[in-house]
Amino acid sequence: MSYKVEEIKNSVKLHCIKTDKFKTNLISVFLSVPLDRKTITYNAIIPAVLRRGTKNLNSQEKISIELENMYGATFDCGVEKIGDNQILKFYLELINDEFIENNDNTLNRGINLLLDIIFNPLVENNQFKKEYVETEKDNIKQIIEAKIDNKDRYAFDRCIEEMYKNKVYGLYKYGYVEDLNKINEQNLYEYYKKLINIAKIDIFVSGNINQTQALNYIKYNENIQKLSPRIDIHIVNAEKTLESDNNKPKVVTEKMDVTQGKLVIGTEVNLNEKDSKYKISLYNVILGESATSKLFQNVREKASLAYTARSNYIKPKNNIYIRCGIEIQNFEKAVNIIYEQLEAMKNGEFTEEDIENAKKYIISGLKITKEEQDSELTYYFGQELSDKFTTFEEYEEKINKITREDIKKVAQNIKVNTIYFLRN
Amino acid sequence: MQIISNSKVKEKLYIEKLENGLTVMIMPKKDIQKKYVIFATNYGSIDNKFIAPGETEVTQVPEGIAHYLEHKMFEQENGENSLDVLTKLGVEANAYTTTNHTAYLFECTDNFYPALDELMDYVQHPYFTDENVEKEKGIISQEIKMYDDYPEWVVYMNAIRSMYEKNPIKIDIAGTVESISKINKEILYKCYNTFYNLSNMVMCVVGDFVPEELLEQIKKRLLENKKPQGEIKRIIEKENTKINRKEITTKMEVSMPLFVIGIKDINLSDIEDKDNMVKKHIAIEILLNMLIGKSSNSYKNLYEQGIIMSEPYLEYEFEKTYAHVLITGQSKNPQKVLEAICNQIDEYRNNGLDEKHFKRIKNMIYGGYIKEYNDVSAIARMFISDYFKGINSFAYLENFNQVNKKYCENILKEVFNKENMVISIVNGK
Repeated sequence: MSYKVEEIKNSVKLHCIKTDKFKTNLISVFLSVPLDRKTITYNAIIPAVLRRGTKNLNSQEKISIELENMYGATFDCGVEKIGDNQILKFYLELINDEFIENNDNTLNRGINLLLDIIFNPLVENNQFKKEYVETEKDNIKQIIEAKIDNKDRYAFDRCIEEMYKNKVYGLYKYGYVEDLNKINEQNLYEYYKKLINIAKIDIFVSGNINQTQALNYIKYNENIQKLSPRIDIHIVNAEKTLESDNNKPKVVTEKMDVTQGKLVIGTEVNLNEKDSKYKISLYNVILGESATSKLFQNVREKASLAYTARSNYIKPKNNIYIRCGIEIQNFEKAVNIIYEQLEAMKNGEFTEEDIENAKKYIISGLKITKEEQDSELTYYFGQELSDKFTTFEEYEEKINKITREDIKKVAQNIKVNTIYFLRN
Repeated sequence: MQIISNSKVKEKLYIEKLENGLTVMIMPKKDIQKKYVIFATNYGSIDNKFIAPGETEVTQVPEGIAHYLEHKMFEQENGENSLDVLTKLGVEANAYTTTNHTAYLFECTDNFYPALDELMDYVQHPYFTDENVEKEKGIISQEIKMYDDYPEWVVYMNAIRSMYEKNPIKIDIAGTVESISKINKEILYKCYNTFYNLSNMVMCVVGDFVPEELLEQIKKRLLENKKPQGEIKRIIEKENTKINRKEITTKMEVSMPLFVIGIKDINLSDIEDKDNMVKKHIAIEILLNMLIGKSSNSYKNLYEQGIIMSEPYLEYEFEKTYAHVLITGQSKNPQKVLEAICNQIDEYRNNGLDEKHFKRIKNMIYGGYIKEYNDVSAIARMFISDYFKGINSFAYLENFNQVNKKYCENILKEVFNKENMVISIVNGK
């Protein structure tokens, strides 16, 4: 494996990962801008409109036919919230030419198509096609409303919203229905032109490819040539939550027609020393990420209260979310057991073996990341957004260095911010 | 070991059936760090009624028991839980139960052999007590309730129940809170002893191994005194050749209706002819994409009218006792989707398939098959799941070229019949 990066213009970067582990080539483009209430819905709708047609292939049907002709290349796009940034993401995956009988350089064809979708959209009279914008507005409206469909996910999103009320991170990544009335083919296109000029752009190619060729191919692509240099505006250090006045966690209960209660406890870690993110990761594994964790063992295995009982660490924001599905009447019981685990961590009630196991858990996950094309690519993009680039090797080293005292320090600086419960 | 090579995807499969009856499949992947192993038994949620080898009486067990057994297999006599032991080794362990098999697995980069020790040890050594069996009821009840809150699971099960009246595929894999309350350690042992004989089991390993060496390592970890047992008589009631009911609608808190259109494939006469089933499966995948895939006319029309927002999920599910097509999606008006699909079926029946469109979709399906070999875990899961249907997964690549337009047109007439179609809908409240 070899990873090459070239900044071809200020804040327009090409990343090339050469690997022979996969039968596919993966091309991804990420446009990153700071989260903003004013533009969030515009950003959510843009990928949806772009996939509808390019100047050369002016309908979704024609794009689909082109993809099918490339032996079932798959295209996907969407938006993501990473820290205080909103990311517009575009993917194209295609099988490597060595598995096609009459190979005809599908990689270049794929690169052209993807870059065309993003940078060379169908424009009529200096605006997007009205019909496309209207259908995609309906679709985004539907996606926003579909927030309630998956109840676990809904509870999680709601807890974040409550924790970050009036902060950009509390925004819903697909935007807001009330914005849609204001959006039309004209102002959306105007916004799009601006976005293309200001967003941080990262283009990735991964696969069994000739790196120099692939880099040059992208570099000299007409669409890329047209891009101008820009200032990097993406946010590295994200905002914290709003501390409550009385220092007590906020408790939010919401009712919906559910069979099972969904409990989410949002916490914040106030620790800003060197490598604290690695220490918090390790803390989180012991608390609730692995099957031997305190939450899994005590909420599920000992108390039989839940099937799912775990925590996850959102690195860019330094939040740990504890999540479980329980009987409605077991709310207090579950909250108490969870608090006991947080206390136990504070008191250092974990063994050397727990620490070693957690290290193994993270390092093994890291090794697996390199074995999955999209995970590996996502890792590198994550590094691109963070304040400092860390290689897999450095990452492993940092994890190995963590001590019991480091973990205790994390435990002492973690605070429950919000307890959210979805019930019937 | 028997070696099967496939030149299209450039992979080799090593197979051996051991004297004790266990089948071992190994796919070596040079220079890939990730390793994946599945140890599975041909026992799933539909095996509720059977005559154990050497017995004459029929045993009927509570719904959801295969899944319950899967949960309890991790308990060990020394008080340890094997999931913990495996996690401590830094491997990612898991298990799952389907309608026809139960699988125990782990993925790792390091510690493969210590983890294999544990995996093979716990699957061969059940340890059930009244207490540890009782404890699981709370956990599994929450698992069942979690699924009850997933609209996509509810709409799927309703579609299955609309197609099948008798086949036990219609029962929930995890059972119900009520049915699992009847499970005790005696019934679990009975099921274990019946279905966890090595002659009913298979192991599949994918990763950077020398197959012959790995096989020796596997053999060392098998219990010595295990002999193949006699036949398990599985009693699966013969299913009607008709659907159970045309339509089912229910309500949940969802933003837009979810739907599953099912087509019951009643012609199971050639289900034992594996090459034929593979060809039929390929043909159905091509047909489904021509009917309602992204570049199809019907998809384009539905999308432009705002009836559908994204491509439905298309599949053909089959096993020894059932087969059906499923079209799953979300729509403001599922009946309109059904209508559009029916019209498209009629058009293809009357005018045949378009040659160019057919070729394009066929290439696309081919690319999809190649992509399945990207990841060691996907490979192992695919080979295991096909194995229990009596199929070697390479057969899809080997039979691919034989599927032509004429053949697909025949399959369309045979399978895509309106009288065998059902629709399940979950509406919003």
